[in-house]
Amino acid sequence: MRPTHIEDYLISLHTGQWFGWSDSKNKVYANLIIHDDTKDKPSESDCTNGLATLQSNFDTAETNATNKKASGKAKLKELGLDDAEIKALINA
Amino acid sequence: MAIIKVKTGGITADAVTDALIADDVVGTEHLTANEVDTAALGADAVTGAQLADNAVNSEHYTDGSIDTAHIADAQITAAKLASGVGEITEVDMWRLTTGYSGASDITSNWERADTDNFAVLGTGLSQSSGIFTFPSTGYYLITFIANFVRNGDDRGMGAGIKLTTNNSSYSDLAFSSTFIQQTESDATTASASVNAIAHCTDVSNVKISFNAGGAGTNTNGNTGFQETGFTCVKLADT
Repeated sequence: MRPTHIEDYLISLHTGQWFGWSDSKNKVYANLIIHDDTKDKPSESDCTNGLATLQSNFDTAETNATNKKASGKAKLKELGLDDAEIKALINA
Repeated sequence: MAIIKVKTGGITADAVTDALIADDVVGTEHLTANEVDTAALGADAVTGAQLADNAVNSEHYTDGSIDTAHIADAQITAAKLASGVGEITEVDMWRLTTGYSGASDITSNWERADTDNFAVLGTGLSQSSGIFTFPSTGYYLITFIANFVRNGDDRGMGAGIKLTTNNSSYSDLAFSSTFIQQTESDATTASASVNAIAHCTDVSNVKISFNAGGAGTNTNGNTGFQETGFTCVKLADT
């Protein structure tokens, strides 16, 4: 699942319930609260950039997976397997 | 012997005594209508045979006089119960609003469900730092579900309900575990659910709390619907 919210970034920073929202129906940075005094509140730009990085990493992983699948399939074809055989092997 | 006919005028008032009337000869035609009063009836003289069917109405019962012995077994139907009698009096639903990573007691980010037409029935539970207090003593059915997600494998994560009877030390009331084996090379979800009966004998000391998660696994929170959360229904008084 592609990260879609700064909460996804915040969860990735520390374990446990170290943060929450003053208004859970409006999860924007301004409503971010920190429950755990030993944890620092990240800046808004940290959250925005952190989410962007997570999304980029996800997209890269997706692209890599797609490319690897395609290249693997091509190599199998070069070995003489037909599409039905390849699908039976890797469902591709 | 000549027969002497005594006319009514020849008998003085109150002259015919009980002794002058033969046994069992006074028929009802000799009684003035509505003239037999309470004093003329002996105690317990009116038997069931003297009562017409379906003639005794509730106005003739003394208030609160129908005791258990006079109700036959299995005769009280649901239709005879007043509204609210025997019905569920407490229904509540809470959920985790915000996700987190790792295994943890859930001490914050709780909210009472406030979407999809839910409204607490009765008083509901109260919550402070993840400790839930019952509204009254009784038996409560608690059903807790936690949803997890992980981009990888985790062979053990779970959801648990803890209970204290002294408002201090908690023990496991119920626990359920599951695992995630990554599927389609993407984040994979799983859930664990658990239910138990909490017997609250003292609202000041018998309380519950919840825990969920697994190392490196995210427990999902959501404020729009129940993703990780619990329902609570009071089944009976203690």
